[in-house]
Amino acid sequence: MKITVKIIGPFIVSAGFSERDIDLADGATAESVVALINLKNPKPMIMTRNGQTLRPQDALRDGDRIVIAPVYSGG
Amino acid sequence: MTGWTGRVLRVDLTRKTSKVESFSEDFARKWVGGRGFAAKILFDELAPGIDPLGPDNKFIVALGPIAGIPAPNTGKAVVAAKSPSTGGYGDGNLGTRVAEHLRKAGYDALIVEGRAERPTLLLIEDDKVEFLPADAVWGKGTYETNDWIYAKYGKGAGVLNIGQGGEKMVRYAVVRSLEGRAGGRTGMGAVMGSKRLKAIVVKGTKPIPQADPEAMKKVGSEDLRKVHQVDKETGWSIQSTNGVLAWCNEVAALPVRNFRKTFHADAWKVDGERLNNARVATYGCPNCTMRCGITIHDAEGRESELDYENVALLGPNLEIFDLAEVGSLNYLCDDYGIDTMSSGCVLSFYADAIDQGAVAGRFKFGDAARAKALLGEIARREGDVGNLLAEGSLRAARTIGKGSEAYAMQVKGLEVAAYNCKFIPGMALAFGVAPIGAHHKESWVITFELKQTSRESYGPEKAQKVIDLQRIRGGLFEYLVSCRFPWIEVGWSLDNYPKYFKLVTGLDWTLDDFWKISDRIYALMKLFWLREYPRTDRKLDYPPAVWFDPENVDSEGPIAGKCLEYDKYDGLLQHYYDIRGYDKRGIPTKATALALGLADEVAAVEKIAKLT
Repeated sequence: MKITVKIIGPFIVSAGFSERDIDLADGATAESVVALINLKNPKPMIMTRNGQTLRPQDALRDGDRIVIAPVYSGG
Repeated sequence: MTGWTGRVLRVDLTRKTSKVESFSEDFARKWVGGRGFAAKILFDELAPGIDPLGPDNKFIVALGPIAGIPAPNTGKAVVAAKSPSTGGYGDGNLGTRVAEHLRKAGYDALIVEGRAERPTLLLIEDDKVEFLPADAVWGKGTYETNDWIYAKYGKGAGVLNIGQGGEKMVRYAVVRSLEGRAGGRTGMGAVMGSKRLKAIVVKGTKPIPQADPEAMKKVGSEDLRKVHQVDKETGWSIQSTNGVLAWCNEVAALPVRNFRKTFHADAWKVDGERLNNARVATYGCPNCTMRCGITIHDAEGRESELDYENVALLGPNLEIFDLAEVGSLNYLCDDYGIDTMSSGCVLSFYADAIDQGAVAGRFKFGDAARAKALLGEIARREGDVGNLLAEGSLRAARTIGKGSEAYAMQVKGLEVAAYNCKFIPGMALAFGVAPIGAHHKESWVITFELKQTSRESYGPEKAQKVIDLQRIRGGLFEYLVSCRFPWIEVGWSLDNYPKYFKLVTGLDWTLDDFWKISDRIYALMKLFWLREYPRTDRKLDYPPAVWFDPENVDSEGPIAGKCLEYDKYDGLLQHYYDIRGYDKRGIPTKATALALGLADEVAAVEKIAKLT
């Protein structure tokens, strides 16, 4: 399956990209995406799928848009 | 008493007199400083119902025990007065060398009374106070005024000044400092302008009283270095506050088109990556090692310092996606000395009202050139439109009528900061119950709502979270006085603050001790509001009606078809009141107020309105 990963804020530096389409095996989870892109300082983070919260163990679906962001605090 | 100077400087602009007053250790322990001092002084000294733009209002600069101390992000001051935008208690904080200089001059607070006969620069040099003419810069913007002051007093002086917006008493005029810093979006610049007070310059040379100055110096300098290191490791300041823009766009929390939309395909053009790429300089406040001020060249080639709130509200909220043009709008707001957030909301309201047919006018979303011209008309109060919009979105809506108040994006008269809460109930509550109007500085719960609980929930956990954050953000950091960014942005532990407090005051307080101070100050601010609005009810704590409008839901995206619901929001509001010990009007009960040590204040309020 193919998903789109969007990286937010300072995580872009360690990921090396801000948005990319990624091919994954069926059954891949959110945490497997995090492992794949190898963020250096991944915590604390918040992941969303299509604008809704995504938990590490949640299975991904073809066409998902996954957003990985620091836990912002609103300035 | 150690850690406080124990002195307040009171200045009368009408009579050109000043005097030094002392305060007791009990006062210091009860109100600590900053917002606590300001709220107490204004509550005690302002007669209810006074005109906030009249000579009876008082302009306060208040500092806390760690303000100006070399420790993480202590270069901030609180400015406060009865608010011209809300009619209630108003304040704001800004980075300024005044924090250090006023304390070194020997004062924890400055009270400015009366109205000067002519434009005035108030000069405070230790024990000397002078009232100097400022005619040369009356009518000038804040940048030129700042340069004029620096040429006279040096770049190291503490400076607060206003632009044309403050002089003309635009109800959301701010106080400016350090070229790029602004504070007091509740109209504190208008209060200075109403007093014909163009600028305050402070130079202090005395040591700031501290219980253990050597240890404080050692710990403070070490911690400044550590905060810098953590910032480097996390990379927060690469995009600074504007990192959140792309995220808000993804989760449908971005203000677009006067908050009618929650995301936009072109938002990436003004996001944190683009801002960082356009960076030409970086600025910060005194005692800061994680500087947040990213500066770019605007469309006219001037340096303009941007952060998330002004990018979002002067950009996507106006459907302007050219970063240089957003920079220009921001520069003009800064130079005129009007709040960037409120300006963005006022302009978007005007475009929306024209769009809805409520008023005739020449402005539409996306029109950067007309937006720039309008900011000038507002700041100078030129013509009917300039005057109308200088009053803020609520008053403008009440003048226009035709149902436009529903999409005036404000609470209590203060425009909403840059988070679109169409379907974020907890953050809508945070705006609703913010004690100065819809400001994000009091509490910010969006990631909590998405990560720790569910976006759909209107449960008590959200009310509790709002209160927890109010105690820290609107409480602790506002009365110590210190910037909240080390804690919220790079995870600097809250446990450091009782440590600093002890080194300065000698008092061994826990965080729980501080939360009681926070609750006391929040209750006092509510009593201030009740005295001004004796017939107040809970509707004053409701966010803008458009967020509840089923006809305003998103047609696509993460929250398609969803909006806030009145009965559920009201239930969430009740959770907040119940936890706080407030009555159904949102006012502290007498038992709550007395438990917080507010017996004198209860007696004062009950001359006008009853507590339950």
